[in-house]
Amino acid sequence: MIFSTELLIQTVISGLMVGVLYALMALGITFIYSIVKTINWAMGEFYMIGSYIQFVAVHFLLGPRWWWLAALISMAGTFLIGLLLEPILIKPMYSRPMQRRDDYATVVTIALLLLLRSLAVALGGPYQYRPESDLSVIWIGPLPQEGARVAASVCALLALAAFWIVIKKTWIGLALRAAAQNRIAVQTSGVDVYRLDAVAFAIGVALAGLAGALLAPLFMVFPTNGAVTSVKGFEIIVIGGLGSIPGALIGGLLLGLVESLGAAFISSPYQNVYGFLLVILILIVKPNGLFGERGREA
Amino acid sequence: MDSLDTHASTTAEWRSLGTQREDHVMQRRELFGGVLAAALIALGSLPAKAQDPIVFGVITPLSPPGETGLGQLAKRGAEIGVEYINEQGGILGRKVQLSIQDSAGKNEQAVAAYRRLVSSEKAVAVFGFIHSGANIAVNEVAKEMGVPTMGTQTGATDVTAKHYDIAFRTHAVDPPRAGTWLGWIKKNNWKRVSIIAETTDYGIGLAKETEKQNKEKNLGLEIQTIMFDRTTTDLLPQLLQVKAFKPDAIVNIGVGQPLDLMITQAHTVGLLPATPMVTSYDAPARPQFWQLHGEKGVGVSFVAFYSPKSELSDLGKEFAKRYQAKFSEPPVYAALNSFANAIVFAEAIKKAGTTEPKAMIKALEEGSFGGWSTVPVTFPRAEGVLWHNWSPPMMILRYTAKDQTPATAEAAYAQ
Repeated sequence: MIFSTELLIQTVISGLMVGVLYALMALGITFIYSIVKTINWAMGEFYMIGSYIQFVAVHFLLGPRWWWLAALISMAGTFLIGLLLEPILIKPMYSRPMQRRDDYATVVTIALLLLLRSLAVALGGPYQYRPESDLSVIWIGPLPQEGARVAASVCALLALAAFWIVIKKTWIGLALRAAAQNRIAVQTSGVDVYRLDAVAFAIGVALAGLAGALLAPLFMVFPTNGAVTSVKGFEIIVIGGLGSIPGALIGGLLLGLVESLGAAFISSPYQNVYGFLLVILILIVKPNGLFGERGREA
Repeated sequence: MDSLDTHASTTAEWRSLGTQREDHVMQRRELFGGVLAAALIALGSLPAKAQDPIVFGVITPLSPPGETGLGQLAKRGAEIGVEYINEQGGILGRKVQLSIQDSAGKNEQAVAAYRRLVSSEKAVAVFGFIHSGANIAVNEVAKEMGVPTMGTQTGATDVTAKHYDIAFRTHAVDPPRAGTWLGWIKKNNWKRVSIIAETTDYGIGLAKETEKQNKEKNLGLEIQTIMFDRTTTDLLPQLLQVKAFKPDAIVNIGVGQPLDLMITQAHTVGLLPATPMVTSYDAPARPQFWQLHGEKGVGVSFVAFYSPKSELSDLGKEFAKRYQAKFSEPPVYAALNSFANAIVFAEAIKKAGTTEPKAMIKALEEGSFGGWSTVPVTFPRAEGVLWHNWSPPMMILRYTAKDQTPATAEAAYAQ
């Protein structure tokens, strides 16, 4: 392995940039969990849907100049799909008496994962696609970066900031935070908690859809492109703490850094292993994650 | 009671007698039917069993993480092959039926598909393999179950080097393939070479073979070898290492998505187009290449096993005509090879006069078959990796302008 200060800086920048994109994915997972108390195993498939919408919008309708509009359409599209699916798949968990909610959610979301993946193969075939990008290479310090990657990282940071503002400064954010703390209390205050669930689920999958759209020119579009990214998302929520927004961002950055530095300076074939080692380390030192809080269930 | 008993007894006797008579009639009918069936079989007539189609199995990647582009091509080739065989009257008076199984490039899925093909669908030959790992894993089971396999585009040494009776291949093996890009590197007088290879049987085998030949042939190349996990979504850390090494040429040994990712990201860090890159197989020959890479695909070189400028056999020309008519594009290697695999198996069964595996294997070993190229296809019990192996000629093609095809690409090197 070659080592130099310049190479180290380049690797760190590369790791941080990919980390921001991982964080966007993790945020969707952690947000859905904090409100609906459900792990959505089909999160990678919403990432995949976002990437397909981005490809269709850029390649067939808008052209590369309007990539940002396509990304917004992708996010809105996945939001709507989430809003439609939640009452059918997730709501029965709460609206009907059910003893094993976690098992139900696992089975339902894994079935959804298989359905969406098969649909993608049926509609688009098993091929790879890439939405065109006319953004030129941008230098970040000593590291040349694809314009699409820089744009994706900036948009991811903007999306994280917008999400934080919605959650902290708006009525719907207040209601969502309240539902995350105590569903029954929210219901007794006259808030339709089922509608909140649907909104939270839709926002969560829309974040994944946005990640898919932003990463489509970099990591390409194919039926299983969300699989690896969603695994990263789950690693990040263990690192950052389940339900924590800052945890998702810091966890994403840490994972991106560890993977890049490990691949560049220790051993490249184990790039995916370094993230798991970090997860194990965090589980030993801080089992609830860096920003996670110990929960209590009645 | 007596009368009743007597009646009952008589009735029972009659029933028994009736049953015996029926048994005799049944036995006579069965005997007659058996004799008739034997006579029909002996006369070569068409009893129901013999009309069953002969099943050819195809195990190929049709979903990610497999190399789906090549999987689709292998499927197309096999379909046209079976269509052609049936138009020629089938094999031994029976039609051929194709059963296509998706391996997704995964060893365990390929093995399950082989078991299903042989046990449930009674396949007599299995081909279409693209991923070496899947082919090698299937061969371990096939050597017990007995039905022969043929690697359509699997390059790793162990596909045939284990000398299993059932293992056949019609593709370039590691030594001549590594020799091809080493020849290209030597021709251009390059000294520093980066190999970026995935950690699969295919990637590891080719990386080791390149290093081995560099030593054995005293080429004096300074080689940087970087391996990566094929599920990796970001190859920037590896490519930054490559850039720091300042190579004269890069050998891209990724399959499917990592191959394309490497091209894109090599552009980002400024390695391409200045540093020549060769991909280890003919992925850039796929029609999707320019959609994926646009201008960034210019300058990429690739190992090719067939160019539209290559001379085709009559069979190859027939296939090219049908392929063009059906898919409105010229055929590429994986499709040609898969087509030829179906034809070779059909000819072997005709030569053997049976679908019995051992007789088919003997026919394959002893025969000479027509394939897509003008070079006859043979499977000698040769030494080492060349066991049961027919290798196509290899060349390196280079794209010098956007939207080129293998027909218009520059011939950068030929063995």
